[in-house]
Amino acid sequence: MLKKTAIHQLSDLTSALMGKGTLVAPVREDAGFNFREISDAKQVDLNFHNTIISPKSVFFPQTEDFIRYRTGRPLQEAETVEPEGKPLILFGVRPCDVKSFEIMDIHFSCTGAVDPYWQARREAATLIGYAFDVAAPAEPEEFYQTLGIGAADPEGSDIFMVRRGDDLILKSITGKGEALLAGIEGLAGASADDGKFFDDTVAAGRNFKTRFTCVDAKAITKKLEDLFHNTDFWEKASNACLSCGVCTFACPTCYCFDICDETLFGRGTRRRVWDACMFTDFTLEASGHNPRTKVYQRLRQKIGHKYSYHVRKYGVISCVGCGRCTRHCPVGIDIFSIVEEAMKA
Amino acid sequence: MRSTNPYIPMPVEIVKITDEVDTHDIKSFRFKFLNAQDEARFQYLPGQFAELSIYGKGESPIGIASSPTEPGYVAFTVQRAGAIVPGLVTAALHDMEEGGRIGLRGPLGHPWPIEFLEKKNIVVVGGGFAFTTLRSLVTYMLHENNRSRFGDITVIYGARTPGLLCYKDELAAWEKRSDIKTIITVDKGNETWKGREGFVPAVCKDVAPSPANAVAVICGPPVMIKFTLPVFFELGFSKENILTSLEMRMKCGIGKCGRCNVGYKYVCSDGPVFSLAELEELPRDF
Repeated sequence: MLKKTAIHQLSDLTSALMGKGTLVAPVREDAGFNFREISDAKQVDLNFHNTIISPKSVFFPQTEDFIRYRTGRPLQEAETVEPEGKPLILFGVRPCDVKSFEIMDIHFSCTGAVDPYWQARREAATLIGYAFDVAAPAEPEEFYQTLGIGAADPEGSDIFMVRRGDDLILKSITGKGEALLAGIEGLAGASADDGKFFDDTVAAGRNFKTRFTCVDAKAITKKLEDLFHNTDFWEKASNACLSCGVCTFACPTCYCFDICDETLFGRGTRRRVWDACMFTDFTLEASGHNPRTKVYQRLRQKIGHKYSYHVRKYGVISCVGCGRCTRHCPVGIDIFSIVEEAMKA
Repeated sequence: MRSTNPYIPMPVEIVKITDEVDTHDIKSFRFKFLNAQDEARFQYLPGQFAELSIYGKGESPIGIASSPTEPGYVAFTVQRAGAIVPGLVTAALHDMEEGGRIGLRGPLGHPWPIEFLEKKNIVVVGGGFAFTTLRSLVTYMLHENNRSRFGDITVIYGARTPGLLCYKDELAAWEKRSDIKTIITVDKGNETWKGREGFVPAVCKDVAPSPANAVAVICGPPVMIKFTLPVFFELGFSKENILTSLEMRMKCGIGKCGRCNVGYKYVCSDGPVFSLAELEELPRDF
């Protein structure tokens, strides 16, 4: 199904989507764009390149409660916060970020134990992807072409959107997407010419230039295994690293979390919160032993995880080339350059 | 209907506390499940672990010290942490009394590979407090329904002093049995100690278990493992036939939180049991 709407009527579309479930979409904020739950259809703003923080927080919130308890009360009275799958529409996600969900699904719901919170939210969500502007250059930090991701890949979205001048073309990709699109009144039918434009954009997205280096998953896995003991390489790569963890928080595929208890005024919460392998106490054991006390060991872990361990475990590189880690790194550490150097090593 | 949410602990009650060592910082806790369906669901084998959960303190991953052949309870031997890192959960547990209630998540991880061990001679080597899941394994193998499934069983267990040996009554009972060879050693004895003195690696060399159709299961402090492994190589044990259990800091225990990886393996869900051959494939990041 192919539909379109004029950009100046975007709020009609977003208003209709709000009637179908919780709408999460890009919103302009002081520091830039971020995905937020929409309370006013006019908040949605598609004049963005990409968001500061990845949309992973929609399915894997920075903080989420598991259990609420009261001190001094019997254990059985604790309240469990069970996973909730209320209908949700995630609108305006760039193709590299759409790809990140597929990578996270393998970890959270398709392999080994199922994370019920991730799974419930994912199943209840309809994903509306949005092509990058293939007529404009990529941002300098981006390198999704290196990971085989196009600027306008519709795969993984339920509905995919392409901008054509003052219009927005929407195409359903899955049955779920078609059902949603069919239920929205007021959208115009798209012409055969719009359909051709959509297909041409997808094709142009495949050839779209971002930073590129030849990274074969098997080859980089082996290279990083061989480089593990090359302390000189990792010390150089991590020389300026502050261990601040911003790369992991901004990353769409970093999934490490902590489970911690907080008690305040007799009421307590056990919750999970994002954590980062860049922190020194991440691996600190109760005995005092810590296998990763040095910064280079932690940066090696982060890059090894994404480009080697994850490939060995799940068959895919755990990076989509969105460039957020590089963009937000206070000291300019660039994962792309490290991977490029590793391939040469 | 009880939750099958893997992050939610099951309520258990402490039914017995045993002070294991003369320094009083290692205690064994027996728990009974408060809900019958939780107990039915908690099907485990030796070598697995569980998260002990105390609201307001947190969770701590601990190896299961009891054996599934001991129905009615599940037991853990817990050292009070805190010498270097504040051990919130273990300290709170040590301060509890019989009748106290905590939460339990599990069983977690892979057990000792029982089928692989069947029909083989088993050499169990333990040092200090790391003996807990080995105690589970030995108890399991010695059970009347299981003993014939295994060949000769040899246990070599050491501690720094006689007072630091765990499970003293059981060790004494094993020593009296003819279907298990039990060798207990301490680094340094005292005036009442009539047993062996000597470090575990030296005792292993002295006992010299045959590698023929045999598997060595070794758990202990890193220094003991470091000096014990060469002894077993010299005796002719292959790396596939030496098993151990790894520790890493853990949170979720189910392979999701990303914390306990060594290379591409998560110790919680891919281990904690590994053969030496498997460990040699992994980076030295533990």
